[in-house]
Amino acid sequence: MKEQILGYKCSKCKTVHYPNRAICRKCGNDKFEIEPLPDKGKLLTFTHLYNPAGDFEVPVLDLGIVELSNGCRITGQMKIENPKIGMKVIGKIEKVRQSGYTSYKGMVFYKA
Amino acid sequence: MREVYVVGIGITKFSRLEYPLVEIAAYPSIMAMKDCGLSSVDHVYVANMGGSRLNRQTALGSALVDHLSLYPTGAETIENGPASGASAIKTGFMAVASGVHDVVMVTGVERMRETNNLEATDFVASLAHPLAEQIYGVTLPSLAGMFARLYMDKYGVTSKHLAMVAIKNHNHALANPFAHLHMPITIEGILEGPEASTNNPFVADPLRFFDMCPVSDGGACLILASKDVAKKTKKPMIRLAGVGQATDTHCVHERKDPTDLLAVREAAARCFKMAGLKPKDVDVAELHDAFTILEIAESEEVGFFKKGEGHIALEKGYTALGGKLPINPSGGLKAKGHPVGATGVGQAHEIVTQLRGEAGERQVKNAKTGFSCNFGGFGNNVVALAFQKEK
Repeated sequence: MKEQILGYKCSKCKTVHYPNRAICRKCGNDKFEIEPLPDKGKLLTFTHLYNPAGDFEVPVLDLGIVELSNGCRITGQMKIENPKIGMKVIGKIEKVRQSGYTSYKGMVFYKA
Repeated sequence: MREVYVVGIGITKFSRLEYPLVEIAAYPSIMAMKDCGLSSVDHVYVANMGGSRLNRQTALGSALVDHLSLYPTGAETIENGPASGASAIKTGFMAVASGVHDVVMVTGVERMRETNNLEATDFVASLAHPLAEQIYGVTLPSLAGMFARLYMDKYGVTSKHLAMVAIKNHNHALANPFAHLHMPITIEGILEGPEASTNNPFVADPLRFFDMCPVSDGGACLILASKDVAKKTKKPMIRLAGVGQATDTHCVHERKDPTDLLAVREAAARCFKMAGLKPKDVDVAELHDAFTILEIAESEEVGFFKKGEGHIALEKGYTALGGKLPINPSGGLKAKGHPVGATGVGQAHEIVTQLRGEAGERQVKNAKTGFSCNFGGFGNNVVALAFQKEK
């Protein structure tokens, strides 16, 4: 089964939220449908973080905020050389953090 | 609603302090009580963010009341991230304004250097969204880096402007005996000279080492009182004229415009409305410059300058001591330091010191109205305070 990150679409106004919330921030409705988030989008902003938390065994962690093709935004890691604001990116689900015995998967963005 | 006055103030040096957490809270509290000559209060509010994780201590309100032998006075701890300090002041304000209490103690305290810098940064990052931000390694410096990149792209702010904020606030801190960093810095040393990249490496680009506040220990205290009590203390009548608080989305990526600091704008507007003041009435301000870009952005959002013009005011020297509107005469978080739970109380301490005319070499001349902005989360919970000197 393909791994996906799920968005939460308001059943009334159809706004897609990520992460989930109990009440739609646009119309106040409390019912949502689960909808996989698209993997394509454009890079809104980014940083190279040179002092990541102790459990990241890398000297530099690249992070960005991406606006996905459905308008929903997501924060994720990046593996892109020379990133630029506005560039097209594609996301893949990968392991993003290993904290003790617990590992976490999330969105990692590459150049589209 | 009753009028509320600041009658006593106290502060520790912000630095690395090798004392137990409760003693760092007790020192400024005793100083504040001696300042106003009171020996008891009706209630104690302690602002703290990291005691449970960094110092293995909870229920600090109870601990402080015991340490000061103030029991059976009521007490509690208030945690609202890096805005805990101003949140506690707001809570104390409401207690006195409502008539529930006549005198309250508000003490902010933090001891972050008991752990190492990476652990301290990871602790502060615990305020980010657990699943949508924290798992990726998002920290506050990384959110500030992403914010700064977009802000610089949109408004023409440059690395030099950011360095100018750091240089200004380091200069201000030289005249503040309580400041963490007494270190003059130059544009050559941190940006333009041959050693600059060694002295000032990137931390979360475009932000560099000297764009970040230090990790500090420290405590600060205000005693708030009703007008009747304030008159009896014979201290300068400094009124806490307005409090305002507002929130924004937990995840930064959910904001319509990620360079918009909605909660700063709303908190300031609510504060000014309660106080019956306008931003142009302010003579001195303490803004939450945990990162240099935030001083510029907040100076616009609270209404001192038009959006996109904060860096121009900085260039013209308006925000330096001696300028039209000195910002962060204490050195700000950038150089005075940022013991997170104590910061909002420390900002208020500086404003009251300025309005009393007791700030020595860093005194803003004829300061009668002051303002502080305490920024929690990455702008998702902000508390603004306005103070006025009365004759």
